[in-house]
Amino acid sequence: MNVLKATVVTSVLGVIGFGEDGKIAAYKLFSQNTLEIAAKLVDIDAGKNVSEIPEVVKELKEKGFTKFVFENPALSRTVQAQLNVEVEVVSPSEVGENFRRKMGEYAVQTGFVKDASELSRWIHDVSMEVSQLKVRKATEKRDLMIVQAVQALDDMDKTLNLISTRIREWYGLHFPELDRLVEKHEVYANLVKNLGRKKDFTQENIEKLGISQNKAAQIAKAAASSMGGELKDQDIIQIQSLCSCVLGLFEEKSSTEKYIEDLMEEVAPNTSFLSGATLGARLIAIAGGLMNLAKMPASTIQVLGAEKALFRSLTTGARPPKHGIIFQHALVHGSNRRLRGKVARIFSGKLAIAVRTDAFSGTYIGDKLKADLEKRVDELQRKYPEPKPKTHEKRPPKVMGKMKPSRRRRKHGR
Amino acid sequence: MDAEVQPHRSFEGVFQVFLEEKSPRLATLNLSPGRNVYGERLVRISDAEYRLWDPFRSKLAGAILKGLKHLPIKLGSRVLYLGAASGTTASHVSDIVGNNGYVYCVEFAPRSIRDLINNVCKYRGNMAPILADARIPSQYSSIVQSVNAIYCDVAQPEQAKLLVSNARLFLEKEGWAMLAIKSRSIDVTMEPSEVYRQEINVLKENGFVISEVVRLEPYDKDHVLVVAKYMSRSQYIS
Ligand SMILES: C[S@@+](CC[C@H](N)C(=O)[O-])C[C@H]1O[C@@H](n2cnc3c(N)ncnc32)[C@H](O)[C@@H]1O
Repeated sequence: MNVLKATVVTSVLGVIGFGEDGKIAAYKLFSQNTLEIAAKLVDIDAGKNVSEIPEVVKELKEKGFTKFVFENPALSRTVQAQLNVEVEVVSPSEVGENFRRKMGEYAVQTGFVKDASELSRWIHDVSMEVSQLKVRKATEKRDLMIVQAVQALDDMDKTLNLISTRIREWYGLHFPELDRLVEKHEVYANLVKNLGRKKDFTQENIEKLGISQNKAAQIAKAAASSMGGELKDQDIIQIQSLCSCVLGLFEEKSSTEKYIEDLMEEVAPNTSFLSGATLGARLIAIAGGLMNLAKMPASTIQVLGAEKALFRSLTTGARPPKHGIIFQHALVHGSNRRLRGKVARIFSGKLAIAVRTDAFSGTYIGDKLKADLEKRVDELQRKYPEPKPKTHEKRPPKVMGKMKPSRRRRKHGR
Repeated sequence: MDAEVQPHRSFEGVFQVFLEEKSPRLATLNLSPGRNVYGERLVRISDAEYRLWDPFRSKLAGAILKGLKHLPIKLGSRVLYLGAASGTTASHVSDIVGNNGYVYCVEFAPRSIRDLINNVCKYRGNMAPILADARIPSQYSSIVQSVNAIYCDVAQPEQAKLLVSNARLFLEKEGWAMLAIKSRSIDVTMEPSEVYRQEINVLKENGFVISEVVRLEPYDKDHVLVVAKYMSRSQYIS
């Protein structure tokens, strides 16, 4: 029996079957709706079947065609499996080439448009829609990665604190004075890992690890006159190994931070631009996802995260919080105490818009939002200038600087 | 402060704008007046608005200033642009081809294409953004018409191969390809031309005839722009 081949071409117009003579043998146009066409093309490009394909194949079969040629290998496999017909892949096919060269003419011939020049607009509109759909697909569920990554950061912080405190206590048996002299866990662990016993805590060695001259002198002096006991080889080796472990975790932490930043750029560029990646990511994490956050009113966003601080205030006796974590933003915590509530309200209002834009439309308005925000806060500050007595209350900055560390307890980590 | 404009002596759609300083600047006629794409300056001269074209940001502008002989992208051309990023060069291509031409912009980074869609294509009816991997052209063959020229700047190894597979599907016979190739290798002992000879060979083996190779320094020290004509095509079945 003679094999009659038809080439099936998919396009913005619809699905068209060409006979061996290169003429149209059967076709099915898409409905003239940009969104619908876009959704179909996304499926087709991914090798999925859309309803027009079986319709055209059926008509071609009725006309005696028995073999169907496609340019897209993935699509041909799907058609073969689902419609149980013989297929072949030719790429590029002569028919396909001819079609791409004269797409405008075919658009008119099939009645998709009246004039070939209208085709450009269709291609523009459909491709805009297709890419936006694909972008959305590519970023779908990525926000859940942010939630996990932020939680991983918190886990790491807790672990770092726990083990670092242990290291300080353990190594403190040997060199107790170091604890008070080095505030940052990371620096402490680095010193111990690299220098080992206190006898090697010389000015030169310490400075080599990036400690300021002044500080290094203090540490070296303390080491020379330290009251701590001796360590055996196996003791110091074990402590150093724990230090390496902590330092590795610090590295992991900064790489996770970078990862979150990149994810935020991808998933929530408006929010990220307005609030900074870290704060935005925390808001998403607390809400349990971008969509959840987008459904919250601005007033909820304003106090989001306060639950935790409230709990902390109950257990440690610290002052109860007035804002949620948006307080972390410089615009909020940097503004005059009396205006803070108002600033927080404006900020969370803009934030809500940014979040919704990220979740629903994907357009970029971050720069506009930020300019708006800054303008409103500026107006606010001009409307309520700082009252005079307040300036008298202010202490000279030097005293403030000295007050700070003693007021709070020593802060470990970053 | 009076600016003046002159059409480029060889290339239709490309202009030279004379500002305060003496040396002329490359520019294109802005197809979406009032908007710039990458911070480039807009200059109004009698009823038209031009966008200055920065050769340090765009390899094509660099190539023109470095004496490119033939520019296959003209008024009315259909162009397939591979690796459009957020549209720095692609927007100038859109200006040059005008409303009767067309630019298909393929880019596979969602972030870049999002900027391309929102900041550029939205305002230019002659540009179609395509989020896809240029290594798999069959994934966008439903939307791309045959083109007169392919511009390829994907900054990937094996880009000549990628260009060839796109040419097979979309480039008309005797159409043109422009390919930005990395010319400097980490190995300083290797002649720069060695680095891109391989890529050029891939083009030659696949029906292209090389018409010129333009070095881009001082605008871009790492790349050359290769211009080639598509003479024959080999059908393949997979
Ligand atoms: C050097 S940049 C292009 C700059 C652009 N030509 C300009 O001058 O404005 C290279 C771009 O190619 C994209 N790219 C790399 N490999 C790709 C591929 N296989 N498919 C599509 N795009 C790719 C990258 O994401 C990047 O945005």
